[in-house]
Amino acid sequence: MSEIEIAPAAVAQAHASAPGRERLVLGLIGTLAFLVIWEAAARLDLINPVVVSNPSRIAEAFVAQLQSGAIFADLRVSLIEFAVGFALSLAVGIGLGIAMGLNRLTEYAIDPFVWFLYSSPLIAFYPLIVVWLGFGFTTVVAVTFLLSFVSVVVNTVAGVQSVDPQLVRAVRAFGGSRLDVIRKVILPAAVPMIIAGMRIGLGRALHGVVLGEMFSSNAGLGYRITFYAAHLRTADVFVPLVILVVIGLVINQLGNMLEARLQAWRGV
Amino acid sequence: MGRLVLERLSLSYAARSGAFLALSNLDFAVEDGEFVTIVGPSGCGKSTLLMLIAALLSPTSGTVRLDGRPVTAPGPDRALVFQDFALLPWRTVLANVELGLELKGVPISERGAIARRHIAMVGLAAFERSYPHQLSGGMRQRVGIARALAVEPQVLLMDEPFGALDAQIRQVMGSELLKIWERGRKTILFVTHDIDEAIYLADRIVVMSASPGRVIADIKVTLPRPRPLEIRNDPVFTAYRQRIWDLLAEQVLASNTWEQPAVAARA
Amino acid sequence: MAIATELPAEAAQPRRSLVSARTAVGVAAVALFLAAWQIVGANEIVRSDLISYPSEVAQTLIQMAASGELGANAIVSLQEFLQGFIPAILIGVAAGTAFGLSARLHALFEPLIVMLNTSPIIAFVPVVVVWFGVGTQSKAIMVFLAAVIPIVINTVTGITEVHESWVRACRAFGAKQPQVIAKAILPGALPAVMVGIRLSVGRAVVGLIAAEMYVSVRGIGRLIQVYSTSDRAAEIFVLVTVVSSFGFLMVTLLRRIETWLAPWSLER
Repeated sequence: MSEIEIAPAAVAQAHASAPGRERLVLGLIGTLAFLVIWEAAARLDLINPVVVSNPSRIAEAFVAQLQSGAIFADLRVSLIEFAVGFALSLAVGIGLGIAMGLNRLTEYAIDPFVWFLYSSPLIAFYPLIVVWLGFGFTTVVAVTFLLSFVSVVVNTVAGVQSVDPQLVRAVRAFGGSRLDVIRKVILPAAVPMIIAGMRIGLGRALHGVVLGEMFSSNAGLGYRITFYAAHLRTADVFVPLVILVVIGLVINQLGNMLEARLQAWRGV
Repeated sequence: MGRLVLERLSLSYAARSGAFLALSNLDFAVEDGEFVTIVGPSGCGKSTLLMLIAALLSPTSGTVRLDGRPVTAPGPDRALVFQDFALLPWRTVLANVELGLELKGVPISERGAIARRHIAMVGLAAFERSYPHQLSGGMRQRVGIARALAVEPQVLLMDEPFGALDAQIRQVMGSELLKIWERGRKTILFVTHDIDEAIYLADRIVVMSASPGRVIADIKVTLPRPRPLEIRNDPVFTAYRQRIWDLLAEQVLASNTWEQPAVAARA
Repeated sequence: MAIATELPAEAAQPRRSLVSARTAVGVAAVALFLAAWQIVGANEIVRSDLISYPSEVAQTLIQMAASGELGANAIVSLQEFLQGFIPAILIGVAAGTAFGLSARLHALFEPLIVMLNTSPIIAFVPVVVVWFGVGTQSKAIMVFLAAVIPIVINTVTGITEVHESWVRACRAFGAKQPQVIAKAILPGALPAVMVGIRLSVGRAVVGLIAAEMYVSVRGIGRLIQVYSTSDRAAEIFVLVTVVSSFGFLMVTLLRRIETWLAPWSLER
């Protein structure tokens, strides 16, 4: 149900008034203050440290888990599921998007279904996938695929259809064939929106991996969160959680960089 | 009552390439009730000049005086009309015209009547309750003019007010503006890059140089008033046009190789 | 079969028919799909407990509604949704306004905002449940967490990217900063705020369902979880319909409100 999601980078640019370094410092201060208050509240028994946990315990749990190495197996599983699901969503999503963008009949026929998927909270489809594919790796990949694929298709179609008719006219005027128009004008013009779709798809794919692992798997970071939570080992819960948060941040940064590179290359 | 004096007015500001001198030692006076137009090549700082007079910017050196008193802050004594109209899209025409009155501190009970009077003056009485997005460009600018006149300013500052309108509407609006002006004879400072418009409207034309902006000519226009639209074909008019064109051509060619940085409006 | 390489002017002239080609093809495609689904399911060409068929889904919908199963759970979910969504709007807009007006304040909280924006929000469900219990409170909190971030981000954008000409107009007539905020910035930011609220609905629903699936006694999410472990495809489709419809209705309602509150923003 998300449309054009505002990427955090756009927010960052809006505040040109606060110089970069100052923002960084204030951000660090804010985060540190939050952690300090949390830790103090736990020490002072304002909150129950066993249930709520606190930064120092979480840090210990981190060290313990990293040392034992078990978490790396989960990380590997999650990354593989993510990569496979996302790659599939790109292949199918971009392919379908281009077919729909170029052929009006295809677009008209498939659009209602895409639109339905696009505007539904896809979590509702999760049980269907479980019914069809059971538990485990395949289901997680399928959920990942589904969540990501919709954004990719929608943005690809929009990208293909966004081409400036003048450019098409120009290529035709110089004797270009339909194939020439597709290769030289339409596909290059569609790239920015395709990339935007990929960016959104990346985030949604991560959601998909976590969703799948939490409810229908026995491996991976998502699963590990529910595992520790079920055992009420709150501090341990935070380790895979933080790793997922970091992955989310890294993905977002990569997405920003990719888009920035693209802008620079196109001179826009 | 609306006598404006600019003395050795200069403005420079920090740009990426170092200090940028936008205006250099501007010196001229506008008498009460005069209609003065300012022409100059793009980027010569004519809009910046208006911003200085409106006190939306502060000069680096020099002073602006209105009736002898220095100008330090924006206020209803100098009202601005903007090229992009600057109407608040969520307010009706009536509410937009009342904006200046609200900020001036006019009591609520009087605002409506004053606003309506000025809306009628610009011929938009039937559109009081319309919103800007329902009006054409020309109509929106008339709202902008009504808003500025409603606060009864000493000086009306007009920053390329018809620049966003197409050529025919622009001429008509100019003629309408003169009709409105002739009733009240406010001091008007009108910035434009359109030479014909500058001559048609003005008692006096100030010609500015390319950046850094300086006054290179101050021309009195002796064409009789009221001025019909056809006066543009009059030989006297043509002579003015030629003179100003020659002055500007030099400036345009000289400044052609430079990219003018955008003026940041800092208040 | 017109290809999108045709220019709009050279494409088929829009015939003034009652129904556009797009609608006709779309309706036909959906009808075809439903017919195929009905045939395959009702005749057990594929196991009907895995895929069901339209008439069975309709029947089941009526059954579930009549028995009160749907109603009771839907009400619980709706309550939890509103308990989280409304505070998210209030706090989100307030915080977003404060951050929009003070770049420094924004910088303090920026890491938190970015983190919550880029992480898979579902991953927080177990922690929230451990902290706030298995009842409705934790669900409301998940909805809040999921919804507040897009609202804050879009509000900040709305406030910081207010059209400069409106601010300049107010300043030119002598407005001081508080007046500029009240007369230009706040009204100008309203459309962006509305967009933020609309965008947050999808995330909020996902957060709600995920939390209910994880652990709950009642709620649509719980139903989804229950039916996902039994091969009851018909019930699942009913739930898909219910959840999708809710999301769609909310978004449509919000769009209407957007148009009514700020008709002038559509021009831009």
